[in-house]
Amino acid sequence: MPERVATLSPIRLSVNGREYQLELDHRTTLLDALRENLDLTGSKKGCDHGQCGACTVMLDGRRANACLIFAVAAQTHDITTIEGVGAAGNLHPLQQAFIDHDGLQCGYCTPGQICSAVAMLAEVEAGWPSAVTPDVAAGPVDLDESETRERMSGNLCRCGAYVNIVAAIQDVVG
Amino acid sequence: MTILSPTSIDEAVAALADPAIQVLAGGTDFMVEVNAGHRRPDKVLSLRHIPELRTWEQLPARDDPAHVRLGATVTYTDMLQPDLAQLLPALAHAARTVGSPQIRNAGTIGGNLATASPAGDTLPVLAALEAVVEVASPLGVRDIPVATFITGPKRTALSPGELIVAVRLPLLDGHQEFRKIGVRNAMVIAVASLALAVDTRTRTVRCALGSVGPGPIRATEAEEWLAGTIDWDRPAATTEAPDLAYFGRLVAGAAQPIDDHRGTAAYRRHAIGVLAERAAAQAFGAGSAA
Amino acid sequence: MSGTVGAPVSRIEGLSKVTGEARYAADFPLAGLAHGWIVQSTIARGRVESVDAGAALQMPGVLAVVTATNAMRLQDVDDGELLVLQDQQVHYRGQTVALVVGDTLEQARAAADGLPVEYQAEPHDVLLSASHPRLFAPDHVNPNLPTDTLTGDVEAGLAGAAVTVDHTYSTPAEHNNPMEPHATTAFWDGDRLTVYDSNQGATRVHQALVRLFGLEDSAVRVVSEHVGGGFGSKGGARSQAVLAAMAARMLGRPIRVVLSRKQLFSLVGYRTPTIQRVRLGSDRGGRLVALDHQVVEQTSTVYEFAEQTAVFSRVMYATPNLSTSHRLVALDVPTPRWMRAPGEAPGSFAVESAMDELAEACGVDPIELRIRNEPVTEPEGGRPFSSRNLIACLREGASRFRWAERDPRPGTRRDGQWLMGTGVAASTYPARSAPSTASVSAQEDGSFIVRLTAADIGTGARTALTQVAADELQVPMDKVEVRIGDSDFGPAMIAGGSMGMASWGWVVVKACRQLIADIDRCGGVPDDGLVARADTADDIAAQADLVRHSFGAQFAEVRVDVDTGEIRVPRLLGVFAAGRIVNAKTARSQLIGGMTMGLSMALFEESLMDAEFGDYLNHDFAGYHIAANADVQRIDATWIDEEDDQLNPLGVKGIGEIGIVGTAAAIANAVYHATGQRQRHLPIRPDRVLSP
Repeated sequence: MPERVATLSPIRLSVNGREYQLELDHRTTLLDALRENLDLTGSKKGCDHGQCGACTVMLDGRRANACLIFAVAAQTHDITTIEGVGAAGNLHPLQQAFIDHDGLQCGYCTPGQICSAVAMLAEVEAGWPSAVTPDVAAGPVDLDESETRERMSGNLCRCGAYVNIVAAIQDVVG
Repeated sequence: MTILSPTSIDEAVAALADPAIQVLAGGTDFMVEVNAGHRRPDKVLSLRHIPELRTWEQLPARDDPAHVRLGATVTYTDMLQPDLAQLLPALAHAARTVGSPQIRNAGTIGGNLATASPAGDTLPVLAALEAVVEVASPLGVRDIPVATFITGPKRTALSPGELIVAVRLPLLDGHQEFRKIGVRNAMVIAVASLALAVDTRTRTVRCALGSVGPGPIRATEAEEWLAGTIDWDRPAATTEAPDLAYFGRLVAGAAQPIDDHRGTAAYRRHAIGVLAERAAAQAFGAGSAA
Repeated sequence: MSGTVGAPVSRIEGLSKVTGEARYAADFPLAGLAHGWIVQSTIARGRVESVDAGAALQMPGVLAVVTATNAMRLQDVDDGELLVLQDQQVHYRGQTVALVVGDTLEQARAAADGLPVEYQAEPHDVLLSASHPRLFAPDHVNPNLPTDTLTGDVEAGLAGAAVTVDHTYSTPAEHNNPMEPHATTAFWDGDRLTVYDSNQGATRVHQALVRLFGLEDSAVRVVSEHVGGGFGSKGGARSQAVLAAMAARMLGRPIRVVLSRKQLFSLVGYRTPTIQRVRLGSDRGGRLVALDHQVVEQTSTVYEFAEQTAVFSRVMYATPNLSTSHRLVALDVPTPRWMRAPGEAPGSFAVESAMDELAEACGVDPIELRIRNEPVTEPEGGRPFSSRNLIACLREGASRFRWAERDPRPGTRRDGQWLMGTGVAASTYPARSAPSTASVSAQEDGSFIVRLTAADIGTGARTALTQVAADELQVPMDKVEVRIGDSDFGPAMIAGGSMGMASWGWVVVKACRQLIADIDRCGGVPDDGLVARADTADDIAAQADLVRHSFGAQFAEVRVDVDTGEIRVPRLLGVFAAGRIVNAKTARSQLIGGMTMGLSMALFEESLMDAEFGDYLNHDFAGYHIAANADVQRIDATWIDEEDDQLNPLGVKGIGEIGIVGTAAAIANAVYHATGQRQRHLPIRPDRVLSP
């Protein structure tokens, strides 16, 4: 068996506008740090391989799979989790739209879907093209249903709420 | 396990003197292996905080043709942005199809090269464009052409202690594109992929295949046939379009596919021919872009 | 009944789910919590010779290595999968051979990853085939149905038929893959065990833990307020609950055991692969004279599960000669179990594909063919239906889908590189109820609390039950709080078999009516409140012997790339007759969700057995594809008004499964219509489209 010694370091994480100081095993992923050390359990572990998107958070506003980054390496980023997107009484429009359009069933993928959608709207605003955007050097993106589906495909939903997720996002886009 | 996070290439290269250290870039392959229990590093070298690896630049046209130099940790998201996409359209096409938006935000060009998966989406593009990989070590920097960099499935010419620092790609005049077939509509590993690049200055066509062999394959016979067939003075000549189906057959002949759970060898060979024919039609056929 | 039942009410726990506040089984922070990680066998058959825990126990933070030699002894139960670490026998690759417990997840995993386990391997047998020498007829098929049935003389019927169809269809192993991996957080307070567990019914988990640990009913509490999907794989206790409870007892600390995605592929069940021979005989007009449905499928050597794949044929079409059979082989594989619409989902693929082939052979429209074969009573057994509205669904769907404009000729519509086609299939699922208990308490402030051990795994049950209670109590929904997912509330049916709403709704109605009677008798709610309890066991036992089923019609439009065989599904429509719909919003979501899973089953899902290692090799979401957002375009589900007073007081039939029944056949039939190539094997991969 190889030497498997844990290295502990004091680290600083900036999550939802708050600074956290903690002593962390270098092997700890950002996802596990959020869930196990900071009790921010809205971010879910669905696959631990970056293949389902349930752990999607935003690093400096960009969506990221929190399972694919060591917490130690996340220290330089401003991290936003679902808990920082909006809370009761102060919901993000996407959160309200997911409720209104029933864009969720079991709810396990939902925090990741919403974080992903929040960042996705910013990507569209910034003119990032997607695989279904016709022009390579695209200008403004029309976030129609096809673009929405493609851009939300990093978040799997086994309950099959995709139709309503797209409707919720389309509602917010207007 | 200990993570080192150097902030310069020199520091990173120095750290690589330790043979136990493993390089972590975007983490989209590395972390999967860690979380699956297949990779158990004692020491990790994270490239996340090295700014000089994260940028790209257009090199002055000192050499002919001009080049773009991508730092090793330029992400797929960077590659698909309009500014870079204008210069390297096929690379942008490929980058758009990699994994998910989350993966594209994290995964890097250097990582795609170092992992050297037969299904690596940018690899056919790099092969078609005859990209050059810049590799640094305490001895200095050396250039390795992509064709020799990838030596087999998940195997590269990288020596211990070496770090991929950049990839240089030539800027070509002419149509280029990337196509891919997967089982699912998104977030899918290619069953077959193809990059086609036309260079009107040298009057050559470059075509490389992915997921149909141990690494990216250049379809040289098909390239030469197509380059010799088309009318370079009127490359978009619709009425004298070459026999694109024959081009597809030549490309299919270059493939070395195997059966696996994503598709049979016969299907991969057939599909790569279809992709080739369609790409060539886009470049040279009716309503072509070339 | 007037009020909120039937209305499109947003789900009550939606707010907690969109804000990340909802806590699932792995989300409860507990002081002193330690983490268990399962070590799985790397052989498919044989014995564990030794587990060398020495080095692992020296690693920092490692608290224990639990193996068959030191595990707590469990009481016998009838599910071998729960008797975890009780002996050295290895029955399949991926079986639990140790649990490593550490202060942190990282420590437990690191020790588990390198744990040396020595085996004595024996040759394994993991491949299902229709000619397997050890095929046998099980005593019954799930849940407790006859293995074989025979009415009339099928061979004679086929021999005399003007038109026959005789083909073999197959479906692969498919894994449930709820987004939330199975998880349990367990702790003991003295001799009382509490588990936060991810399941489809806390009652069954409670019963299993009571028996395994030899405890009183009151000594175990199972809490499952929010559950991240199940689709059958959480229908009963799974071994992670046993391991967490065991380790918590052994170590005197709270323990959490969460399965990895990969571990779900061996430890919690899956849908058996099926090989189905369907023989149809009809007159020239397509009227069936014989139907034979023979099924071959697998189980494990640990627990016998026999999927009821052929039961679809026992209710669907009128024919004087009807036979169904199931044959099983016990392989050295993980145990197959329930997966959404066990029986009907794979069975409908074969039969509804065969019906499409018969329609083609007879030159009869596929909808007309089904109408011509509509039975008056149950084809097998002859019992009356409580209600049956398949034809209404077909007609309503045909109208909405503009079926009348369809040109029946295959392979004739093209849009550029795309061949286009449409297809139809019928669906059904039993509408049953099971005994449950509930209590309703009237608070002095005019509000009410309903308590029952229901589960909301994403179905909307919490919301629908609140609507039901509010209407019964004749108060607005905000005066009713429905608490679920806690075994302390007494036994109740699981969220499974499409029986949740029928079972729970019934007992909630009964409890509410009892409470109103009690309030009337007391002349109001006393100062210390009032509680009514109900149990539906006697009511359900007294039900008339009828066939109770929901029915539906599924329509699909596909586009098939003429050169690559890639398939897109621009449109699905499902029309269902499922009794009363309690919540129009969540019901539509659930039906669409079932259809989405059906699309996924049709095109993507396939667990591939590695014969050499004896394991499902594509055990992650990169290898096991489920539909992603971009795969799903227009899907709509609707229903016809159906009143059936022979079901339960609410008149609901249940909608959890029927959405997936028939979807794959509708898509396969549409692919045939587009290409002229019949697809008899799922999934319909591009390479199969080109070389079926």
